[in-house]
Amino acid sequence: MGIRLKVFFGFGILAFMLLLAGFVSIHELTNIGKSVIKMLDDNYQSIQATNTMLEALEREDSGVLLLLMGKWDEGRKHILQSDSIFTDAFTTAKNNITIEGEEDYVHQVQLSYSVFKQVWQKPIVGTSKEGNFEWYYSESHEQFMQVKNDIKALMELNQKAMYNTSKTLKDRSKRSVMPGIVAIVTAVLFALLFNYFIHHYLTEPIIQITRGVEDFNEYGKDFKVEIETNDELRRLAEAITNLLHSSHIK
Amino acid sequence: MRIHVIARYIGFILLFNAAFLFIALLISLADYDSATFPLLYSFLICTLLGLFPFIFVPPAKYINRNEGFFIVILSWLLSCLTGMLPYILFGGEFTVTNAWFESVSGFTTTGSSILNDIESLPKGLLFWRSATHWIGGIGIVIFVLVVLPNMGQARFVLLKAEQSSLAESNFKFQTGKVLRIVLFVYLGLTLAETLALSIFGMGPFDALLHSFGTVATGGFSTKNLSLAYYNSVAIEVIVMIFMVLSGIHFGFLYISIIKRRLNIFSSYVVRYYIISMVAGILLVSLFLYLKGTYNFTDALRFSSFQVASAATTTGFATADTVHWAGFAQMILIFFTLQCACAGSTSGGIKVDRIVLFLKYIRNVIIKMFHPNAVIITRLDGEPVENEIIQNSLLFIALYLLIVFISALLLTAFDIDLLTAFSASIATMGNVGPGLGHVSSLANYGALPDMVKWILTVNMLMGRLEIYGFIALVMWKSLK
Repeated sequence: MGIRLKVFFGFGILAFMLLLAGFVSIHELTNIGKSVIKMLDDNYQSIQATNTMLEALEREDSGVLLLLMGKWDEGRKHILQSDSIFTDAFTTAKNNITIEGEEDYVHQVQLSYSVFKQVWQKPIVGTSKEGNFEWYYSESHEQFMQVKNDIKALMELNQKAMYNTSKTLKDRSKRSVMPGIVAIVTAVLFALLFNYFIHHYLTEPIIQITRGVEDFNEYGKDFKVEIETNDELRRLAEAITNLLHSSHIK
Repeated sequence: MRIHVIARYIGFILLFNAAFLFIALLISLADYDSATFPLLYSFLICTLLGLFPFIFVPPAKYINRNEGFFIVILSWLLSCLTGMLPYILFGGEFTVTNAWFESVSGFTTTGSSILNDIESLPKGLLFWRSATHWIGGIGIVIFVLVVLPNMGQARFVLLKAEQSSLAESNFKFQTGKVLRIVLFVYLGLTLAETLALSIFGMGPFDALLHSFGTVATGGFSTKNLSLAYYNSVAIEVIVMIFMVLSGIHFGFLYISIIKRRLNIFSSYVVRYYIISMVAGILLVSLFLYLKGTYNFTDALRFSSFQVASAATTTGFATADTVHWAGFAQMILIFFTLQCACAGSTSGGIKVDRIVLFLKYIRNVIIKMFHPNAVIITRLDGEPVENEIIQNSLLFIALYLLIVFISALLLTAFDIDLLTAFSASIATMGNVGPGLGHVSSLANYGALPDMVKWILTVNMLMGRLEIYGFIALVMWKSLK
């Protein structure tokens, strides 16, 4: 194999290693990016939705209390606004079922909320319920707590899933570092080996040939340089031997 | 020392490993498993590293003894290093330390594992894990010599560095023929066992991988419970037969097959190997039966397998020896130290050295009563040179010293005495399972990282017959 090919292959392999390292890093980073987006899509959205549901539920409870105090307009407005927010958030959670068993939790929230809704949909102001805190604690508040607990259960399920996904991501990030480290170590090894081979098979023979020619010129020593490889350098050494031999005869 | 020549021959070995990585990759692709990328990446790196020296380095007309030593030793080390690539890239239970441990354990045919859940590994990775046994078992260098006809005189130098000096003296064949014998016996045993296990109910993939583990006297299984998973007497008997055969000098097996007569018993060493194993099995069986651990049939079944597994340095398990009483465990420790015959793929002190040691003791006693007697130590009628006897005794002493130092180091990391000693002995002998926390059905995963590194040094020392490893450490004096 000629010197040009050797150097070409040497650099070619080095370049391939770097390309491989680059490709692997991009591949792994893309995968991590996808996993992060998936984690956000799958769990973060549901957690946000449950938070909104909880806030809306609290405001609905405040609305019920306002109705209990006889403030019909204010209480009704409060409740209807919160119900709308709750329904939107619930729809988000319902459309984002990604965990095993999540559907049951969502269904449970839907059931308990519909029962809670029945509590405040019936008239309160101007009835025996107005100012009746005993009724509030036994009927409304109990149902409110039931919905709240069901939403919290749904939230915990998503939080757990998010924690597990982030743990997996942590493992993946570790894994994504490994190919890079392996590629760097291998590339360094290649570079060292390449350097050694260039020195041994290219630089050293050139030094030997130069020294041989100098010794011939200065001291009249025979030009005896043996080149291990069958390449241009051996042919150069042979050509110099022939040249010096013919000039010596003349 | 010519680094470029060493690099070229190590390149051959890496390409050989790459071929097995490629097979593992194909299995992974066929199975659509999660090991495809780690195997592909490892295959590419291994191939490129192996090919690189070929671009520059022309074939060497000769290699000297020191170069031969370094080619062999560095081949083991680089094989272990490249062998850990699929593991660290796969992740899971494989940290860098664990990947190194599993790789060294595979290539040195030790069979100790850090894995708690082997069955969760993808098929491609399982194949690679067992293939490291198979590659290591044959001795990477010997294998490569067979496919490298251009090495000329270099072949003998490499072989000398690879095998036990006793095995070398036992071989009365030409180097080329030795390689053919090794290949013939190795392939033959692997195929025969795979076939037998498949017939008796093991799936072909598991059968092949268990054959890799048996013939290489390694012990990696594809099941968390090792062979206990199958609970099949037929499978245990088949594996036991092949374990015992794999512990015998391959030359004897070859002659027995070629000449179609049982030649193995003509050797004193083999006779001792078989008889000591049978005696060990009977003692353990009787003890376990009398102790009430098992009924007699089970005692015979489990003790036969465990004793054979330890005595051949394989390390497969059908029973958890941690529940066995002290006497049975001591017998297992004896066999873990003694191991099988030189010229096989087993590690440890080896039966040949034990036989010489016993004969030497007998001669010393005779000499005490007959001071003027000229006593020659003979093995199979042939006189054994004093140098070989001295080397054997020195080897045994050095071996035990290293086991002691290693156990001492392990106890410094709060490892209990039984675990420390048995783990040191089991890894030095390339056996695999020890006792205590690393018993036959347990694993090395829970041990501290530093302990795992110490044990991998043991495995490499055991595989390289100590002197090879010392040569690497004292490489400057070899210059």
